[in-house]
Amino acid sequence: MSLRLKLLLLGLATLVLPWGGCQYAREMESALREGEENSLQAVSQTIAASLQGRTDLLYREAPRPADAADAPDENAGHAFLQSGPYDLRPLALTAAPLLDGYSDDWPHDPSAWAYFEKDDRHRFGILTGVYERMLYVLLEVRDEHPLFDAPGTNPLDPGSFGDRVWLGFQDSQGEERQVFLAATGPGAVTARRIETGEYGQQSAPIEPRIHGAWQPMSHGYRMELRVPLSMLGNGFGVLVDDRDARGAEPVSYGTLRSDDLHTLGRLIVAAPELSSYLAQFMQPGLKLAVTTPSGRVLARADALAQLTGLGSETPVLARLYRRFVDRPGTRALLESSAPIYDRDHKTLIGKLEVTQTANRWIRLRDHALMRMLNFSLSTSAVAVSLMFAFAAWLALRLSRLRQASESALTRTGLVTSFPETDARDELGDVARGFSTLLQRLNEYTSYLRTLAGKLAHEIRTPLTIVRSSLENLESEQVPPAARTYLERARQGSERLNAILIAMGAATRVEEAIGSAERVSFDLLPVLQSAVAAYRGAFPERAFRTELPAEAVVIRGAPDLIVQMLDKLIDNAVDFSPGGALITVRLRLDAQAALIEVDNPGPALPVQVEGRLFESLWQSRAGTDSRPHFGLGLYIVRLIAEFHGGEASAVNLPEGSGARFVVRLSR
Amino acid sequence: MKRLVAIVEDEPAIRDNYAAAFLREGYAVRTYANRAQAMSAFAARLPDLAVIDISLEDEPEGGFELCRQLRALSAELPIIFLTARDSELDAVSGLRLGADDFLTKDLSLAHLIARVNALFRRVEALRRPNAPEEIVRRGALALDAERMQAQWDGQVVLLSLTEFWIVHALARHPGHVRNRQQLMDAANVVLDDNTITSHVKRIRRKFQSIDPKFDAVQTVYGMGYRWVE
Repeated sequence: MSLRLKLLLLGLATLVLPWGGCQYAREMESALREGEENSLQAVSQTIAASLQGRTDLLYREAPRPADAADAPDENAGHAFLQSGPYDLRPLALTAAPLLDGYSDDWPHDPSAWAYFEKDDRHRFGILTGVYERMLYVLLEVRDEHPLFDAPGTNPLDPGSFGDRVWLGFQDSQGEERQVFLAATGPGAVTARRIETGEYGQQSAPIEPRIHGAWQPMSHGYRMELRVPLSMLGNGFGVLVDDRDARGAEPVSYGTLRSDDLHTLGRLIVAAPELSSYLAQFMQPGLKLAVTTPSGRVLARADALAQLTGLGSETPVLARLYRRFVDRPGTRALLESSAPIYDRDHKTLIGKLEVTQTANRWIRLRDHALMRMLNFSLSTSAVAVSLMFAFAAWLALRLSRLRQASESALTRTGLVTSFPETDARDELGDVARGFSTLLQRLNEYTSYLRTLAGKLAHEIRTPLTIVRSSLENLESEQVPPAARTYLERARQGSERLNAILIAMGAATRVEEAIGSAERVSFDLLPVLQSAVAAYRGAFPERAFRTELPAEAVVIRGAPDLIVQMLDKLIDNAVDFSPGGALITVRLRLDAQAALIEVDNPGPALPVQVEGRLFESLWQSRAGTDSRPHFGLGLYIVRLIAEFHGGEASAVNLPEGSGARFVVRLSR
Repeated sequence: MKRLVAIVEDEPAIRDNYAAAFLREGYAVRTYANRAQAMSAFAARLPDLAVIDISLEDEPEGGFELCRQLRALSAELPIIFLTARDSELDAVSGLRLGADDFLTKDLSLAHLIARVNALFRRVEALRRPNAPEEIVRRGALALDAERMQAQWDGQVVLLSLTEFWIVHALARHPGHVRNRQQLMDAANVVLDDNTITSHVKRIRRKFQSIDPKFDAVQTVYGMGYRWVE
């Protein structure tokens, strides 16, 4: 794993910031929600308190005087709280049903239906609802033979009577009133009230405030009615007259007394003013509902929907963030309820339910979350990219260091400007350590390099003593038997001397290089002449030259070039079998002239690569008498470097031999 | 009267060995271990030839200083440096101080004696009038083998003994390539290739200081050198 990757991963750890941010946002959301719930609770309690004792609003019931709490029958004034068998409890409708005789625009709520029956064949269901200031009534009457009034007749003529529906109610003064509805066919139905004139004569004028519609249904008919609440007091009832023949005695049943058509039950419904009262507390995203203690909605004001559309206007990013933060099952709505008491503070007359969408604080949270996430994510991005850049920089420094330490060893002298040694950090320490180490290594190798020369110098004096003594001895009278030993000693000292000369060779070449002058000269005649000399010097090897046709002029010292070639040829001769063909080649590339010497023979061992041209290095298992100090190829390198080039060695294909290449810059 | 050879050498074994060899050849020998001894003796009487080591006891360059002082006493006295030091720089400085030859201790005693003999021959020849038949002429070059003196265009070229012998070996057979071994044999030295190369370089430089267009010593790469007329 590279340093870069490691630090990148480390940088990714800064993503814990946005994660922490999300946690924070959740915490904040909880806190906000709690605060909202508290304030909602306060709001609901305030509104509920303002509705305390307002039975006139809740139930259109005159509030009891404050001292009524002392009344012996506590619940006497609270008939609306008891559930009489004939009481009707209208739904709080959210939309006005169309008066068409069909039930499909009514809420589907089986529990809201009330049923009244005489027997199996006579039965009706009634559903009531309030919308704004109107009472809507839906009647479903079981009647195998619906019978219309005879059209065009006096509605008071009993002979024309068909099926009739009576509405009985108390008006706001408590007077019992009746209207009847007699259909003359499917469609609109008119309501008529019975009036008794000044002289006792009766009439049935049309009651224009009440509208209705009639439609047949299977096994009966359906009637839909609308009555303004302003007409109605507390009592309300419906009576169905079912006739099997026109003018026949009806089967009457319902919630009116059948003799005088007085109301038996009550209409438990809030005053229309309750809705407008609630409306003044409204604000977008809020829903208020007043219910009976049992939970039936009396009135509501609903502005929940006004705060929707949140999703469409939020940016994609916010929705993405929300996906990360939202816990499943988070309620989108806040609910609170408060009891509404009568003036006595004891009797529960209703409940106020307040609902608020979560949108408001979700929006708040989203806003904060967005900013926080944007901030922390960009912080992370910056941190990651900084770390990456830092890692890249470190890696660059490290690789510079590595390259320098790798190349430092192969050069003649240590690079003086070892990189990073000025850095003050640990890498600088490493570089300085390396630098010191290499400095010492360099001192050591240069000591080794000069060791041969120094040794040669130091050995020269005692050797001179030996040699001069031997030479003097030869002039003395020596017994013939001793001459042999004298001769051997002399030969030995000559060999020692040859060794000394060989040992000092590199030093002398370095000196020669130091004093060499560069001239422009043509390599071709130099090579040709030298190879001609090698043919004479090494008759047991064959030489071939591959030279370009045109002159190859370089700047340098021809003497040194020849000396270098001598060493290369020495090497090639040493490592090739007798009769081998040694090829001397001169090639050109864009910047350099390349002298190549190929010799058949053993391949170079892989491990010597790169060390071949070092001082005092040799891999030969030499058995010949000539001294070898591994200086030959070192001299080649010195001379190549003097010519701005380098020396290298490769194996010939199939291990058939070795090729030594010297680049000389042109 | 025997010729007096002074040997200034701080290594007693070498000093005595050299002294024995010179004595055997019939020379009178005085040996000195350091510069002070040698100079006080030279002040009293000059030797006929001096063989000097460069480093003398506690003076690493004492031989050079001695050579300078000796040369101040006598312009003609043959002086030979014989040293374990074989660096190019030492050779150059030694010869510049007026030494007649600069030899390393690789040299055999026989070769050393040959040189000393040759130098004495030269001293004698210089005292005699010119014997023209001994002079080899190759174009502008005139080589006097007896006096071991080279002239180019009539001007004397100051060559060391080794250099003279190298030039002599080359110029005797113009056009013939002399390889390094042949040159070493001619010069009675055992040298390595680089030393021959630097000798040849010095020879060229000395001729070029008289005639900048001098180009008579040619390198035959890989083989040796030849004299071109």
